Amino acid sequence: MAAPHPVITSPDPLDPRPLIEGKQTDQTINDSLLEHVWRGAGKGWWALFGVALSALGLLVIAITYTLYKGIGSWGNNIPVGWAFGIINFVWWIGIGHAGTLISAILLLLQQKWRTSINRFAEAMTLFAVICALLFPLLHTGRPWFAAYWLMPYPSVQGIWPQFKSPLTWDVFAVSTYFTISLLFWFLGLVPDLAALRDSSKSRAKRFAYGIFALGWRGSGRHWAEYKWAYVLLAGLSTPLVLSVHTIVSFDFATSVIPGWHTTIFPPYFVAGAVFSGFAMVATWMIPAREFLGLKHVVTARHIEMMCKVMLATGMIVTYGYVMEHFIAWYSGDPYEFAQFFLVRQRGPMSGVYWLMIFCNCIVPQLFWTKRGRTNLAVVWMASILINVGMWCERFNIIVTSLHRDFLPSKWENYGPTWVDISLFIGTIGLFSTLFLLFLKFVPAVALTEVKELRHELEHAEHGAGEEKHA
Amino acid sequence: MSDGGDHGGGFVPRRFVIGQFANADALLDGTRKVREAGNKSLDTHTPYPLHGLEDALGLGRPKIPTLVLLGAIAGACIAYAMIYYMNVVDFPINVANRPAHSPPTNLPITFELAVLLGGSSAFFGFFTLAGLPKPYHPVFEADFFARASIDGLFLSVEVPAGGDVDKVAADVRGAGAVEVQTVTESER
Repeated sequence: MAAPHPVITSPDPLDPRPLIEGKQTDQTINDSLLEHVWRGAGKGWWALFGVALSALGLLVIAITYTLYKGIGSWGNNIPVGWAFGIINFVWWIGIGHAGTLISAILLLLQQKWRTSINRFAEAMTLFAVICALLFPLLHTGRPWFAAYWLMPYPSVQGIWPQFKSPLTWDVFAVSTYFTISLLFWFLGLVPDLAALRDSSKSRAKRFAYGIFALGWRGSGRHWAEYKWAYVLLAGLSTPLVLSVHTIVSFDFATSVIPGWHTTIFPPYFVAGAVFSGFAMVATWMIPAREFLGLKHVVTARHIEMMCKVMLATGMIVTYGYVMEHFIAWYSGDPYEFAQFFLVRQRGPMSGVYWLMIFCNCIVPQLFWTKRGRTNLAVVWMASILINVGMWCERFNIIVTSLHRDFLPSKWENYGPTWVDISLFIGTIGLFSTLFLLFLKFVPAVALTEVKELRHELEHAEHGAGEEKHA
Repeated sequence: MSDGGDHGGGFVPRRFVIGQFANADALLDGTRKVREAGNKSLDTHTPYPLHGLEDALGLGRPKIPTLVLLGAIAGACIAYAMIYYMNVVDFPINVANRPAHSPPTNLPITFELAVLLGGSSAFFGFFTLAGLPKPYHPVFEADFFARASIDGLFLSVEVPAGGDVDKVAADVRGAGAVEVQTVTESER
């Protein structure tokens, strides 16, 4: 059986810009990528951490209030039975998808540029899924009972989950997604933790990282199996990530609400997820590469690649919007037509619709030009707007569809309460807190994989040189 | 991949010869030479996987792919059987007279559990095969060994009980190692 990691034979002739800048050795890569872990937290880190922690405090208050008062403290009420909770759930899950796409799909497609950003994006996946999971759990109102409402648990009531419901599929999809992402992330991290252990200056740090490194000794016998475990986890994660957002979209697509009942949802949700996920990676990566000294491994070429992915997925999302409108018209269904052409465009929530169109369809068009892709300020602003746009998309699908359904007598407007808003801001705080801690204690770039890439590039260059001599 | 660390009653320390090599080609070449000189229980220690290590060490087929396949099949079977038992045998729920056993609606969870068990077998299977976590290993006794996770390329040979350490060390040096150390397991 051949080794799963192919050796690249030459640099990309179409793009001569390097994936790793400057003359690097394993030692310099090791030192420069671990530097941000060893140096003490700066003022900037503490300031951000303070803000993140305050937002996390808000989350604790909002969760406590929700559990104490019940979910009546949220703004959703019939006909808008689903609102912020599910919007935020879908939004966070979507953000997580870029991590898996970068770590798994781009690995299988042998995209070498993924190596510098995969660890970063995988951590983002984990934290985003944690934020996402909070919402459905809280929406049950009594999360401590949720275990046997959601999971097939042999309780004395003798009742089981209804396996024909996409909501039950969701439980399995999201929990599998979290578990597999965690295993994949940790498996990739073990050799890096060993490098941290062996670069430690103090005994305490050596001991702490030593525990997590599990006694990794870089054994060739281990590597032989490790490569397979890693590539197979990637292979399993690839259909998994596609299935997760597909199943999330089934929550809507299998129902009969105008604006939900459509077959285009699965692919269009997956594209939207990757779109928002890459935007989130760019939002964090652009400042992080500056402050953590990662510019030699996360080069302008990486940022440009991310912009191209955002442009491509943004265009798929735009195509999804166009098709939704086309089918609404072509089906001749008056409810569908009214939903897309009257309610969304001219209804009380049309502002959200037009903001979505601006952020998701127009903003990514900046990335057609090289100037747009290489101006970091532009990319950073655009990445934030894209995430705003993707949040608006979920608001449009969920709230706008629900607040005007079949019976005009049922129509009702929706507004979030302070609890809804605090929960949303709070999860951003939770995400940021976890992410800042990750940047402080774990190398943000997959050290081992960058060293391997450097070795392969050097080998390829060396090989090409020898051929010329002969 | 066992380390053969069964000491029985009395502690017999294991002895290792560790050699550092200058570059990847030298390591692969050296490993092959040391193995062909008749030494058993060889291992390399590198910061990242090297292309061709399996051949140099003379390893057989990897076991992980089979494990993952079995895990995934088990996951799929468990999921389908679970859904069938719960929704058909134990507590059928009649919703608008739809059939209790509806294969298409069973597919998503069958797939998810196949991935969950397949992926978990890759992860836990790897650590079981590798014998990790194992915080102490005699090779850590060598003072240059900390470089194995940073930029050092090493070959370690376990000297069999009653074997000649100097002969093994000479083999490793002869195979191109730039520095050779011998270590003895410490009792703890």
